[in-house]
Amino acid sequence: MNESVTRPAFAHSPGLQPGPKMFSDLAPLTDAVTLSVDGQPVRARAGETVAACLLRAGVPYNRLTPVSGAPRLPYCMIGHCFECLVEIDGIGNRQACLTLVRDGMKVRRQDGAPPALEPSVP
Amino acid sequence: MSINAPLPDADVIIVGCGPAGMAAAVTLAEAGRSVIVLDMQPAPGGQIFRSLEANLCDTSPAGQSLLAALGPAYRAGADLIRRFRAFSGACPGIDYRPQTTVWEVRPDGTVGWLQGMNAGYVRGRQVLLAHGAMERPVPFPGWTLPGVMTAGAVQTLLKAGHLKPSGRIVLAGTGPLLLLLANQLHQLGVKPALVGRTDRLSDSVRAARHLRPGGLVPLVKGLGWLGRLKLAGVKSVTGLENLAAHGTQNVESVSFTVGGKRQTLPCDLLIVHDGIVPAIDIPNAAGLRLQWDGPNASWRPATTPDGLGASTLPPEMSAGPCVLRVTGDARRIGGADAAMAHGRVAAQAILAALDHGAGPSADALRAVGKALSVRPFLDAAFPPGLAQALPDDDTIVCRCEELTAGELREKIRSGFRNMDALRGETRCGMGPCQGRSCMVTAARLLQNETRAAGCPPTFRGRPPIRPIPLGAVATLSGLDPRATIRLTLEDKPENASEDTVDAPAE
Ligand SMILES: Cc1cc2nc3c(=O)[nH]c(=O)nc-3n(C[C@H](O)[C@H](O)[C@H](O)COP(=O)(O)OP(=O)(O)OC[C@H]3O[C@@H](n4cnc5c(N)ncnc54)[C@H](O)[C@@H]3O)c2cc1C
Ligand code: FES
Repeated sequence: MNESVTRPAFAHSPGLQPGPKMFSDLAPLTDAVTLSVDGQPVRARAGETVAACLLRAGVPYNRLTPVSGAPRLPYCMIGHCFECLVEIDGIGNRQACLTLVRDGMKVRRQDGAPPALEPSVP
Repeated sequence: MSINAPLPDADVIIVGCGPAGMAAAVTLAEAGRSVIVLDMQPAPGGQIFRSLEANLCDTSPAGQSLLAALGPAYRAGADLIRRFRAFSGACPGIDYRPQTTVWEVRPDGTVGWLQGMNAGYVRGRQVLLAHGAMERPVPFPGWTLPGVMTAGAVQTLLKAGHLKPSGRIVLAGTGPLLLLLANQLHQLGVKPALVGRTDRLSDSVRAARHLRPGGLVPLVKGLGWLGRLKLAGVKSVTGLENLAAHGTQNVESVSFTVGGKRQTLPCDLLIVHDGIVPAIDIPNAAGLRLQWDGPNASWRPATTPDGLGASTLPPEMSAGPCVLRVTGDARRIGGADAAMAHGRVAAQAILAALDHGAGPSADALRAVGKALSVRPFLDAAFPPGLAQALPDDDTIVCRCEELTAGELREKIRSGFRNMDALRGETRCGMGPCQGRSCMVTAARLLQNETRAAGCPPTFRGRPPIRPIPLGAVATLSGLDPRATIRLTLEDKPENASEDTVDAPAE
């Protein structure tokens, strides 16, 4: 079909293997901020959500499920389904579709249950 | 309110800053009442008017073409948002708190909130729930694959992300929102490979007898959308059944049946929509009585015409009479005009409850009736489709815990014959989404297996209905120091067992 079929299994590769490009910009990014996603710089439109930024970047998933390791991407974009969970600045299970991007923000995709959610916070 | 209860933080707390919440807030502020409005979005507008303020300021050609594609119904919110903003910060006025998530509401007017890493409670003499609707959950094979999204999600990405879908796009489902989105995409130069509708011509014929004068404008609008799509050569089918998405790491193709024939299409993005239903997460956890809306296959809170809910909690569990009202699409699906009209009615009822005013005006009530008069037609023309039949055994029902319909059926047959027992046994509804995506399907499966009738049972709602980071729990503010609340943290996915903490307030 297309290159998506032959893509390596990204569950084992920490890099941002691109998925099929599902979204494109209405206009070129001006007014951009830069955040890091799994350590790699990604540009975002100021004022948008982390979920929008991840979908523009074409990441193939934002989390792997704790149960089977299946990849997931945002589904509802309005805060209901919780598929968009990521780790943001060290705190796990944040809803990417409700969180606005910030310059220098550190986003990590989640592999299973996020370590940051273990009761280590006071 | 009992003697020991802390003083209220405002006359009224409103949950949700969509058309209903804003209309109510403005009405209350105009009458000199103090209002706190909590909303998890970054700006006022709710679903329909999402990002409207920012988009109106965008004078770039791309911004202008986006506004044109979103149409006059989108821009129509500008005036209400302006009036809402005019009262924000005034004293008394509207204390607007964006990016604030509500995770508990109690019948006595206590509301739990979370903003970043801070959490707390605020109390209102009256509380108005204007938290809106959600898209009907549609369990079908492959619906958890990356590349399957709802129509509302794609619209949100347009309005707030300035992103348009690309690649091979299939829209499937039913309802005005699906056709609206197809048109908006068309105006932005995006041509879907297929618009597959589950509704049929026979539905429209049956619906015609519900047509009232108030329904003519939406009807003409809808026919206009269909005509434009046809002119543009967008392939469209009706009577679509048995939708499935296929792929390993993402959607690669979709298949479906039309007129008895199975078809398969290559696909990068499958956009689904099966109508919208009232979001019952907050009412259910607040212990409000729910009723089942048969034609719409959904719950909604049982309320008086002015929105007053009925508490099902035993009296010893709440400190005084129920002060919760529900308005807008959270009460009954009616769209933005009905939401604004009812927001005003609810606000007038609240004013009456606060100082014995006259209550909703005949004018305001008439406006609600007029705005809702088109619903019987729309309900009949776009009956639930993708979610109409119960899912096959292999289909995932609970997205968070990845439980299939077969696994749930088996547990029900082996004796877990009520919702809470089923939840405890399987963890269905215990993931981060707290049952928002699975509850209705689990309840229908349970009723089907036990041959029960009537209003399908819900999971007992337990706060927090949205996960709170532990760090935020530790700083909980705003409660009577003598009071202690018990938070169950079993919704945290990493906690296999039920973990509870006692959280004394500051
Ligand atoms: C995804 C989606 C997209 C839609 N798009 C359109 C459209 O383009 N055109 C149209 O005519 N109709 C649309 N609708 C229908 C919409 O329901 C009505 O048009 C109208 O917006 C309803 O107004 P409301 O004030 O009742 O609720 P909403 O507009 O839904 O506003 C409710 C607000 O409450 C907030 N909220 C919910 N739960 C919480 C919580 N726990 N804590 C804090 N805040 C919370 C939400 O973020 C939202 O801002 C859409 C509905 C959905 C679900
Ligand atoms: S995408 Fe559904 S909650 Fe964020």
